[in-house]
Amino acid sequence: MKTLRFLPLVLVGLLLAARAAAQTPGPTPPPTGQEMVLKITKEAAGRKLPLAVPALTTPGVAAMQSKLVDPFTATLRSDLEYTGVFVIADPAHYPSGSREPTTTEAADRWLGTGAEILVDTKADVVADKVTVEARVWDLKAHQLILGRRYSGGVSYVERIAHTLANDLVKEITGKSGMFLSTIIFVSDRDGSAENSKDLYAMDFDGRSVRRLTTHHSLALNPDARNGKVVFTSYNSRFPQIWTMNADGGGAREIKTGVELNASPALSPDGTQIAFVGSAKGNPDIYVISTAGSNLRRLTTTHALEASPDWSPTGRQILYTSDATGTPQLWVMDAEGTGARRVTYSGNWNDEGAWSPDGSKIAFACRNEGDFNICVMDFATGNTVQLTSDGANGHPGWSPSGEKIVYQCKRGGKTQIYTMDANGENKRMLTETGNNLMPIWLP
Amino acid sequence: MRNRTGTILAFLAAAACGLMAVGCPKKPPTTTAGATTTTTETSKPPATNVPPPAEAPKGEVSTEPLAGDVAAINRAGYLKDAFFDYDKSDLRDDARSALASNAEWLKRYRSVQFLIEGHCDERGTAEYNLALGDRRANAAKEYLVSLGVDAARIKTVSYGKERPFCNANSEDCWQQNRRGHFLVTAK
Repeated sequence: MKTLRFLPLVLVGLLLAARAAAQTPGPTPPPTGQEMVLKITKEAAGRKLPLAVPALTTPGVAAMQSKLVDPFTATLRSDLEYTGVFVIADPAHYPSGSREPTTTEAADRWLGTGAEILVDTKADVVADKVTVEARVWDLKAHQLILGRRYSGGVSYVERIAHTLANDLVKEITGKSGMFLSTIIFVSDRDGSAENSKDLYAMDFDGRSVRRLTTHHSLALNPDARNGKVVFTSYNSRFPQIWTMNADGGGAREIKTGVELNASPALSPDGTQIAFVGSAKGNPDIYVISTAGSNLRRLTTTHALEASPDWSPTGRQILYTSDATGTPQLWVMDAEGTGARRVTYSGNWNDEGAWSPDGSKIAFACRNEGDFNICVMDFATGNTVQLTSDGANGHPGWSPSGEKIVYQCKRGGKTQIYTMDANGENKRMLTETGNNLMPIWLP
Repeated sequence: MRNRTGTILAFLAAAACGLMAVGCPKKPPTTTAGATTTTTETSKPPATNVPPPAEAPKGEVSTEPLAGDVAAINRAGYLKDAFFDYDKSDLRDDARSALASNAEWLKRYRSVQFLIEGHCDERGTAEYNLALGDRRANAAKEYLVSLGVDAARIKTVSYGKERPFCNANSEDCWQQNRRGHFLVTAK
């Protein structure tokens, strides 16, 4: 129950590119990743790259439409569109017959659909094991961009599609795909105890929800690095910091010796936990090792401090302080010195989260009315508001920084959403109970 | 004889307590110049859920144990909750008088141990509110200690906005949720 689903997914990097180059007269060697990154970055600024993603073919295999072809094709198309980088050309216009665009004539038929890249997939099934061979073509250059073979159980066909989508995104954009990533969040969906909240995990798209804790009290504010999760639990009435594996196993309490123990955040190397501790009603930022030793108090103000988050380098800590009268974001170095205020607009900013490359911070922002999600360019201070409906909060970044996961309360219920880092492409991932405080794991 | 001694001691204690209360200056109201935090939400504590405390005769230290178990004592509502303004942990006048009343009762029943829960309304962010709830619970605790209640009898916990008393979208409900809530844990 507590183990992650295990899939013996065999990924075979075929030297298809070389083979294709040898067999066919037209194609030149595929471009290097660097060139491709530059090309796509330039294109993405103006428009999305159009892909043709025809249905998986299963030559010689009958009756696999609903178990194999449909879930694979739908997952692959959905993943690629979700990136915000690609658009899928209308399948109704795809040519029939041979799909290898090795000749100008064949490639032109695909180009006529509006696509510039063809994602061609073919499956072979032996017993309950499927092998999918993927060939991705640059239709204008007649070049094979990617050729790979994947195999696994037929029931894992969606996972194979996610893996191919990840590889394709990596090949074309240079960034890691998110299609095998996990979101951990807090939910009251159990409902067995009034106002109780526990931790759950789900796939990046909201599917495959699994429960991680059964404390039946309050489990709040998870954070994760390197396969380890930290969170606050009221399991023993008073809040304590807990740590566990990303699958919910190996849970243990970390005694800090101070009260409150809120908002624990793991340092990038996973050895330290920054958190909000309180002695005599003065909430401050503290750091303790994950072994539960070497407690240090970083802030020494009489103001209220909250919600720490480490910079990707581990050298700075972003946090909230009301030292100037309203909750605002501040930053200090990891030793607690050099504190300076970061946000100046709005009368309540909190729950700051550093982007994976350290260039931006996302946070819950408010001036009048409801909270929204804002993103600030850390170097310039330029800030954009990405939401405008409902009460929004607790933003977190996808592992490569192209998406933001957050919570939004509308109509009395709080649910988890994702959006592109520019605020487009908003999607609701949850609908059962209240779901909040999401974080995104690689 | 025993009763008279008790009465005298209680009188002296009450007098000392009165002096201490007078000697405890009220904090000036916090002004947040430049900030746009609304302070118009100042309102009276909700009248609901505060049954009148069962009074022991004035001025006497009880030597009798409280009747009923802890759950019954909590249901009886001897200890009043302290209510707060939006995004504030300063004690209002009504909170001070509720806490003064609690202090009287707590000095009468000296074996009682209790918990103060800090709560916040739903309008703020969850993480900041956990820290704010901690401040509210401790503000109530410090005032009780200043009135002579032994700090060792008091535990505090913050629930932020995670355990609301009501869920309506109104100032009346929000006020209900901005409180230091008292819970007797041992008699």
